[in-house]
Amino acid sequence: MKDTLALLQKFNAHPDSRCWYVAWNPKGTLLASCGGDRAIRIWGREGDSWECKTVLQDGHQRAVRKVAWSPCGNYLASASFDATTCIWKKKNDDFECLTVLEGHENEVKCVAWAPSGNLLATCSRDKSVWIWEVDEEDEYECVSVVNSHTQDVKHVVWHPTQELLASCSYDNNVCVYKEEDDDWECRAILEGHTSTVWGLTFDPSGQRLASCSDDRTVKIWKECQPGGTDTAWKCVCTLSGFHGRTVYDIAWCPLTGALATACGDDGVRVFKEDETADPDQPVFSLSAHVPKAHSQDVNCIAWHPKEAGLLVSCSDNGEIAVWNYQSAV
Amino acid sequence: MDSVITQSFHVEGYRKGFDEGTRQGMIDGRKHRASHGAKLSTEVSFDYGFGITWKCLLQNNTDVKARKRLKALESPLGLILKFPHEEPQYENLQEDMEKVRAKFRLVCSLLNVPTDFSDYVKSGGISF
Repeated sequence: MKDTLALLQKFNAHPDSRCWYVAWNPKGTLLASCGGDRAIRIWGREGDSWECKTVLQDGHQRAVRKVAWSPCGNYLASASFDATTCIWKKKNDDFECLTVLEGHENEVKCVAWAPSGNLLATCSRDKSVWIWEVDEEDEYECVSVVNSHTQDVKHVVWHPTQELLASCSYDNNVCVYKEEDDDWECRAILEGHTSTVWGLTFDPSGQRLASCSDDRTVKIWKECQPGGTDTAWKCVCTLSGFHGRTVYDIAWCPLTGALATACGDDGVRVFKEDETADPDQPVFSLSAHVPKAHSQDVNCIAWHPKEAGLLVSCSDNGEIAVWNYQSAV
Repeated sequence: MDSVITQSFHVEGYRKGFDEGTRQGMIDGRKHRASHGAKLSTEVSFDYGFGITWKCLLQNNTDVKARKRLKALESPLGLILKFPHEEPQYENLQEDMEKVRAKFRLVCSLLNVPTDFSDYVKSGGISF
């Protein structure tokens, strides 16, 4: 029996436009997508298919690059090329814009909510990473601006259990940040990729970080000597020779530990970890691959938070595809 | 005999060219340094004035928000005061300037002040 990746549904989410990103809400009942048409669409399950429930059209003046749900599922943040980040509050089936976070000098590339729900991180082409705090009255305030990258910052991701943030950039590096005396600072710079790092994902335990790059590789990093103010990370595995073009996104399944990638060669791939390998020298093998998952670049890949094997991808052609991954073992 | 004369002309020509290049390089370098130094001091002085003004405006205000903003202002103002103004070879200049800029962006965000100061300061860092 082979591992399989089967297409369940494919639909046009952002007509005549790119679909840049997709994100599941924490319960897995809704899917948010955003695109070059400046819209955010919320999709809900109707039987076996996904239907558009809401369209948020007027929040941004330019493309919406990423969306992120708060851990409680009641808020949605959207990061846009118009240099703003919008916070939406869910009210029944609709969303209202609560506030607009301004400050970045140009395109905001990513927004991410900390697991505590009290902190938000954004990053931009202006090379900076901003950390915002939200209080009980839904007021957002910037607490730190960090300039550790020397180029466009593409993605930010929070650690699943600790207050630790990671970012990656066009400068080929990954930075890891910790808070010290109310100020967020870069505590480690992970060098190794030879081109733009586009995506990051932590494993379910938070002990390892996976990065994907324009250099067509995926790297797995592990923290050595954890604890204390400083943090040091080592590259323990590099997956090369699997991707034909830039790897734009990567997602580590919180339920099964499988690693999925979105590639500029239009393909979607799933990697499985070898259970018998030394944890300090992990081994991953290609478990499933759909070469022409979309007719253009695949921009994003996301595992369902509750249903093992359910995977969603989106593409430059405006489509969203829903997949079922099944491991033979 | 010819080759010895040619050789000595080469040597002299090289030496004169090198000296002229050095002289012109020093002149150009001095202009470049003065121009960038002026831009940097304009930016730093503007930031300092901006910071001190807000400090004066906020310091008699006792509410929590004002306290937070004052605290945020302390960091960049402190960094500017520590700047070795008399040391052109200061190694951490770029890094410290980035820190100051980042802190000021944070303060502007807290004060709800837009950060477009291009009417007052033509900054943007040193580029080569």
